[in-house]
This record gives sequence, C-alpha cells and structure tokens, in this order.
Amino acid sequence: MSTRKYTKIEGPTIDSVPLIYKHKIPIQKTYKFWEGLKEGKIFATRCKKCGRIYFPPQADCSDDFSSDMEWVELPKFGVLEAFTKVYARPQGFDDVDPYVIGIATLENGVRVMGWVDPPDEKCVKVGNRVELTIRVIKDRHIIYLRDLSCT
Amino acid sequence: MRRVAVIGVGQSLYGVRSDVTMQELAWEAVKEALEDAGVTQRDVDISVVGNVGTRGYELMPAQPVNDYIGMTPKGPIRVEMACATGLVALTVGYNLIASGSAEVVLAVGVEKMTEVDTPTSLAVGGRAGNYLWEFHFYGTTMPAGYALYATAHMAKFGTTEEHMALVAVKNHYYGSLNPKAHFQHTVTVEEVLKSRPIAWPIKLLDSSPISDGTAAAILASEDAVRKYKIDTPVWIAGIGYANDTPLLTRRKDYTTFQATRLAAEMAYKKAGIEPRDVEVANVHDAFTIAEIIAYEDLGFVKKGEGPKLIAEGQTYAGGKVAVNIDGGLKAKGHPLGATGLGMIYELTKQLREERSGPRQAPLKKYIALAHNVAGVGPVSYVVVLRR
Repeated sequence: MSTRKYTKIEGPTIDSVPLIYKHKIPIQKTYKFWEGLKEGKIFATRCKKCGRIYFPPQADCSDDFSSDMEWVELPKFGVLEAFTKVYARPQGFDDVDPYVIGIATLENGVRVMGWVDPPDEKCVKVGNRVELTIRVIKDRHIIYLRDLSCT
Repeated sequence: MRRVAVIGVGQSLYGVRSDVTMQELAWEAVKEALEDAGVTQRDVDISVVGNVGTRGYELMPAQPVNDYIGMTPKGPIRVEMACATGLVALTVGYNLIASGSAEVVLAVGVEKMTEVDTPTSLAVGGRAGNYLWEFHFYGTTMPAGYALYATAHMAKFGTTEEHMALVAVKNHYYGSLNPKAHFQHTVTVEEVLKSRPIAWPIKLLDSSPISDGTAAAILASEDAVRKYKIDTPVWIAGIGYANDTPLLTRRKDYTTFQATRLAAEMAYKKAGIEPRDVEVANVHDAFTIAEIIAYEDLGFVKKGEGPKLIAEGQTYAGGKVAVNIDGGLKAKGHPLGATGLGMIYELTKQLREERSGPRQAPLKKYIALAHNVAGVGPVSYVVVLRR
C-alpha cells in the first residue's frame, strides 16, 4: 500500500441558513407520456411534417418549426448499448439498492434509458437483447430493461 | 481579429479547503496571476468570473468574488458551463481582446465543492445534462454517465479495467510531484482495481476528486504585451468549441464524444497545426476512461487505440505526447469552475519551461493543448497554446 498524501486544510465553520427547493414541473405538453407509463406503455412524439421521432417526447419539432406532433408507442424490445451499476448513489436514491442503468436501441432505432433487470453487472452485457417493462418505484413509473440473456 | 496572449497565471492549492470562503480562495489565484504578469487590477479592463456554483451558498457568486479580488468597479462577466466553465471564461476573455473591446482581461475560475456532503454533490452533478428525463427517473450521476461510455468502449475495443487503471497510475505519479495537487501520492494498478466501485466499471481510484480550488489567467493584446514588457508571452493560437445533445439517449455513439472531435478539428484548423504537433496536453480526465477516449477524439491516436497508447506509456513526459503531467483532474483535482484555467496555468508554465525534472515536458515546437468538457460530453472546448 502506498502512503496516502492529500490536501486537506481544515478550519472552523458555521452553518448556512438551509434552502430547500421543491419544484412543480409542467407536464401538460407531454401528458400522454406520463399517463402512458401508468398503463405500461412508452410513448414518443413524431413530427407529422418531417416524421422525426422524439424520445424523450417533445411538443415542438425544432427541425422545421412545427408543433403538429402525433403520439407513437415505442416497441417493447431492444439491444443494450451501454450500462453501469451505480454504487455511489445520489441524494434521493440513497435508500434504494445499487441499480444498473442501461441504454437500449429499440427495433425502430429509438434509444431509451432504463434500469436493467437483473442488477448484476457480471451477467449483463452490451449487445444483449432486452424487454421493456414499467415498474413503480417510490411513486415513480420507471422503465425497466429486462436482460433476456440473464434472467 | 487581434492576437491574444496569456501574460500571467495563478493557481491555489487544490483539495479540501475549509480554511477559506470562495472569495478568499479566488484571491489566492488572482494575486499570483497579477504578480506573475507584473500588473495590478488598475491595468485590467474587465474581469470574467467562472463558477458553476450549484453547490455553494453564494447563489450569485460573481459579484462577491469580483469585489473581494479588488476588481470593483470593473466587471464582472459571470460564466457557467458546468465542468467546462474554466475554458469558457478564457474564451470570453479572448474574444473581448481579439475584438478590440479590451486590452487586458482577468479570467478567474473558482469552486468550493466540499461545503456539502458527497450524496448532495452526486445529486447536483447528476442533474447536469437533462434533469427531467434522466436523473428524475434513473438517478444518473456523473460517474454513471462516464461508466456508460466505459462499458461501450470495453465492448467495442476490448478496453479493460487495467487500461483505465494505468491512467490513474500515471496521473497520480504526476500528482505526487505537484505540490499544488489534491492527491500527492502514487497508486498501483492493483490498488485501483481493488478500490470500491462507484459506478461499475468506474471505481474510486478511477475518479477525479471533489475539490475546492481556483485558477486565474491574465490575458493581453499585443500592444499590452509590449506595454508591460512581457518577455515570455504564451499565445492563444486557436480555440475550438462544439456541443452535442445532453440527452444521452439521443447520442449516436457511446465510444466517442462528438463535441470533442468537432472542437479539436476547429482548434487545430484555427491554429494551423495537426494533432501530432501537440507536445504537451491537459485533457479532461474526470474519470480514467475519459482520458483514453480523449486520446482518440483529439486525434493523438486512431479510434480504438487509446488503450494501447496508455499501455505503452506514450503519454508520460518523453513519450509521444505528455498528457496531464500536473496530475490531471484525476490527481491534481477537479474544482469545476477552476479546472480549465488550471490547465492553462500548467500549460503556460510548461511552455515557459518553468518546470523541472520529470515534470517538464521536452519541447521542440512549443505547442500545448487544453481540453475541457462539460458534464458527460455535451460541451467541449479545446485551446491550442504556443510560445
């Protein structure tokens, strides 16, 4: 073991006046997405003018200045492009077990992020096929990517 | 466009610095930079204050910083571009002088990160990019974002955890030689591999630390270089910048950062050089995989050959290109707003040949490169410096 030498210069401190933020996030323009999750469906938007699919869904197509969008349901299967298992969890996720985040390319080329099941970095592999499901974790609907090669 | 030189640089000791407030810390770099250039605040036309500030209690930080460092009534312009804030502050200063709006500019970057605990820091960093569609659902963190790139790079190019560990070994070696570094000790490959997982395959010793720190640069026009009789100006030969979507699911490829490739192309073109001309570089090694991908995106090697470059030791001083020989973000530390200007501090010292022994890169062309990235690659700045 090498000797540890690092910079830590400490002094006396006082506490600040605490500041708590809790935001109200508008979901009116993406409401169908949020409702869809409750029914186990994942919706994206498609620009009727140019056909571009937006996921995450957005209400405006910046490519051709159009807001004429339609909702399309995403396919349920895809292939894993990348993943990681998060051990050092941030505030807000400190009471859940370490989780695996993955990104999958679906059959129509759209990419989605999700939590990978099983959360086992030894088994999960880039290139594995995944099935998309929705689960409720702490009142939030989470997209899960079920690794079909390691169940 | 007028030419712009770096005529003075300063940097504080990086690390846990609960002995100072943000303003007191900023003065450490500003004082050194002004003394280094041989000018005072009276000679500076305007200040640019770089600070990410999302962890601080001073929510509008530029004004208290500017006042404390004695720049009232001139300035400040506040700059924020996540981890790339430092080189964006430099770019704003460069543009003010190049356009003829100013003769001398002070760019200072400062960050106090250790006033909040680590879970808070992870939650703040994880909000970089796009909160609603990533962090809100999946608890993405900064290390997790880079770890996604690591597993993709491993799957495509056979990159291993050992390759990544070799970057930590190199950068800690240089940190051990740098009295201003956060970490001043060496590590072994085995220690890196055995360190606790943060976001697998990224482990603790693959990660840059949460640091307090500050760095500053005094920029000047050619007229000002003559006026203040600067004997070794370091010229800003080219600045490149680009961005990519912050939404990771909209990226095309997880083995390369498009923003860095485009920024590097622009910087090389403006400077009139090729990647092989770069002799010493500071690249954005927030995590060890990021340095390996940077070798490729900056054109030091072909795509997929980054692991080989570190395995052959070609990025130590005396190799093909000396990279992060101040310890990099990994060992010198990563106080967000200061980081990019901390690179300019080191590279200016390198080009003036003020380092000694293994800490000085051997130079023939006197060409250096700084590479500063915001978040998990959505914004990249590349600066070419020449003596």
